[in-house]
Amino acid sequence: MSKMKKMILVLGIAIGFVACTKDDNGGSTNVVSTITVKDLPADTIIGITPGVPPTGGFPYGAGRYTFFSLESNKIVPASDSASNKWDLAFKGTTIATNSGNSGPGGAGAFVFVGLFDDLKTIPADSTFRIDNAPTAFAIPTGSNRAWYAYDGINQLVNPIPGRVLVIRTATGKYAKVEILNYYKGGTTPATTAPDAVKLSTQRYYTFRYTFQPNGTKTF
Amino acid sequence: MMKRFMLPLCAGFLSQTLIAQNKAAQQKDTLVGENAITVFTATKTERKLTNVAVPVQIISQKTIQQAGSLRLSDILSEQTGLFMTNGFGTGVSMQGLNPDYTLILIDGEPLIGRTSGVLDLRRIAVGNIKQIEIVRGPSSSLYGSEAMAGVINIITDKSKINSLGLTARYGTYNTADIGLKAGIRSSRINYQGFGNFYRTDGFSIRPNSRERSIAPIERITQQHQLGFRISDRTQVSVSFRLNNETIQNNITVTNNGNAINSVGYEKNNDLNTSLQLAHKFNEKVKNTTRLYGTFFKSIQDLITDNGAPYVDEFRQSFGRAENQTDIQFNKRLEMNVGGGYINETARSTRYDNSSSVKTNRIGYAYLQTEWKALDQLILIGGARYDHNELFAAAFSPKLALQYKINPKLSLKASVGRGFKAPDFRQLYLNFTNTAAGSYSVFGSVEAQKIIGELNRLGQISSLEPAFYGLNTLKPEFSTGFNIGIHFQDSKWLVSANIFRNNIENLIDSRLVAYRTGGAQIFSYLNVKNAFTQGIETDVQYKMNKNLSLTAGYQFLLTGDQAEIDAINAGKVFTRDQNGFSRRMSRSEYVGLPNRSKHMANFKILYAKNAFFANTRVVYRSRWTTTDTDGNGLFNSNDAFAKGYVQVNAAAGYEFNKGLSVQAGTDNLLNYTDVINLPNLPGRTFYLTVSYQFFNKNPK
Repeated sequence: MSKMKKMILVLGIAIGFVACTKDDNGGSTNVVSTITVKDLPADTIIGITPGVPPTGGFPYGAGRYTFFSLESNKIVPASDSASNKWDLAFKGTTIATNSGNSGPGGAGAFVFVGLFDDLKTIPADSTFRIDNAPTAFAIPTGSNRAWYAYDGINQLVNPIPGRVLVIRTATGKYAKVEILNYYKGGTTPATTAPDAVKLSTQRYYTFRYTFQPNGTKTF
Repeated sequence: MMKRFMLPLCAGFLSQTLIAQNKAAQQKDTLVGENAITVFTATKTERKLTNVAVPVQIISQKTIQQAGSLRLSDILSEQTGLFMTNGFGTGVSMQGLNPDYTLILIDGEPLIGRTSGVLDLRRIAVGNIKQIEIVRGPSSSLYGSEAMAGVINIITDKSKINSLGLTARYGTYNTADIGLKAGIRSSRINYQGFGNFYRTDGFSIRPNSRERSIAPIERITQQHQLGFRISDRTQVSVSFRLNNETIQNNITVTNNGNAINSVGYEKNNDLNTSLQLAHKFNEKVKNTTRLYGTFFKSIQDLITDNGAPYVDEFRQSFGRAENQTDIQFNKRLEMNVGGGYINETARSTRYDNSSSVKTNRIGYAYLQTEWKALDQLILIGGARYDHNELFAAAFSPKLALQYKINPKLSLKASVGRGFKAPDFRQLYLNFTNTAAGSYSVFGSVEAQKIIGELNRLGQISSLEPAFYGLNTLKPEFSTGFNIGIHFQDSKWLVSANIFRNNIENLIDSRLVAYRTGGAQIFSYLNVKNAFTQGIETDVQYKMNKNLSLTAGYQFLLTGDQAEIDAINAGKVFTRDQNGFSRRMSRSEYVGLPNRSKHMANFKILYAKNAFFANTRVVYRSRWTTTDTDGNGLFNSNDAFAKGYVQVNAAAGYEFNKGLSVQAGTDNLLNYTDVINLPNLPGRTFYLTVSYQFFNKNPK
């Protein structure tokens, strides 16, 4: 029990320390900046169900999404989940968009295969998907489907390189997001790390994104 | 009537082996250069090693003994270009192909009982091996399925004399090995018996671990061979081999800080029986009939602390009748023609129904012609056709030539096709791992049926693209090219072989569907193409009467052409130091995992009168183990196991009265790698004493 408390405490601290840094991309006003968000918690693990598989032994979190606004580069309180204030919501490996049955916003998303910097303009014929939770998210869930590959042997989540999440925000503006890492500190534990480390450091997103405030599809 | 029919039908193999026996003890390595060494495996007929057109290596009984080897994997791990794989037992990788693709034979008959494609070479005791013949390159033109990378044939002792010998060895981890060998020979009958007992406490190199990377094992092997000479032309022989092993499994799963222990046993039995009848019609025509039956049974029984017992059973059988006729038309032209019928069965608790027996029947025919076109030039052409009940037929041709430039120098070139039939697991597996995310793996025959049914019940949330690719599995194919050069004089032996294997239709598991709730379903498809290429070289130098040096080296490149195409098209990405994606370049591609680009060995052997001493060094360069950057292929940004050097040494002395002693140490440098080489213990020692009670030629 005390272990669980400790974990909740850690979770709380982590939320408090979510660091958002801004690397300005030169002074030109035409160039939008790329922001790196570090250690965004996404329903971090607070315990393991009693028993052994298949009936138990599964790690679990509090079951809550972390809501994030790309426009303001801030975590949005869960109390505002029924609003246009957030764009993306993170829970484990699931990334929801403020669209469809996930939220009231007009968001949407699709996965672009290629380099973040190569995506300068979102092609006009792109189709943005919307959420139909829990079976069909705009950003598909599951290993090797959208942004990550699960290494079942070592039980690690590795973001797939060359995948860009192209986002239409809740208010109809555009952004591109690249997930960089899924573990605390932005470093995936070694394949040889103890299970306890792999569990306690997972579900912390590091990602970079570019948000275009002027409503165009060009970054 | 039946008898009369059987008798002439059967003959040949036995007479060949007897001829070999009469040539007396030619227990030499390939690299000890004796022209009279004979090899059977390369052409399925007895041949002088110097007249074989395909790359063949021979390991002699003496080499096995002096290396202090106990199990087949021990001695193979010291050979150029071979390395042992961990997981599902110890398998052998040849020319960069997985263990699935090397056929393992005992006296020409295949061993069965593969787990996940791996035949555990530790099941095979080496105490009664006369020589090991290693043929590199696809050999399905003679041997059918599994001979894609090559063939390893274990030739056991045949009694030449009356003998009785006992060998006992004791070493680190309470590893004990006792072997008894007896031979009886009269003018008509010869008998060879072998018994071996092996046990070890096992070990774990991981600190504070209850679970052992090598579990405590007990193995008892017995083998009996009885030959009877009906006439000068007709011989019959029967052989029987039984191996029983019991492995004690203590498995600990840590869960939320609590250790859950399971205790259990794994019991494996394999039984091989054969009957051979050989008849020589005249000096030009021989006929051999062989009947072979083998059974494998594996039972795993686990009991966890908190109840839930777990039982896993697998039974397999393989029966074969084969007839081969060897015709020598003249001094330049010889033909071997043969055919046979195979009946294979398997049943397992991991199939849909543990009581339903899965069966495959194969009929096959093969033909091989050897033509000595010139005194310097030998040409071999052959082909085999395998008709399978369960999947597409396979046609496996082979062409080989040897050109002797002069008595010391020769060239060899061969091209051949090999195949591996889909195994029962790939067809019938029906396994759901409730202990790890409830994922399921279904064999290709089962997959469509089961997923269709689940879909009808609304238990499938999505079908993946691979689902629509599910089809009747085809055999995996390889085309192998080998070009070699061989030089030999009184001091030097140098051989080099360049190889390239193109492998098509590789069967791999793919995600085919998701259950509602997210559990994944996998099945098997013919999805991949791969290649392996490189060079194998061996050099031996006999410095003087007592001292000889050998060195071996293999350079290996592997890959998947589809992956290379994707890289060249700029469609493959990895990450830079900042974690940002970038394009991956061709030079970063490493190919197939678990392969070392460089492997080498170096041996010094000193022998004088009754004394010998040797030091053997084996090197493997680093190999990639895990795709850590998530791009689905292996590149220099992924996790690697470090390259390493293993040094083994042994020395022995033979006293006058049949007594000999030997002491040795393996892994002298105490190299360990907990993660990547859990089966490699640190430094170990052993002492062997053997005694020959008598050793007489019959009057």
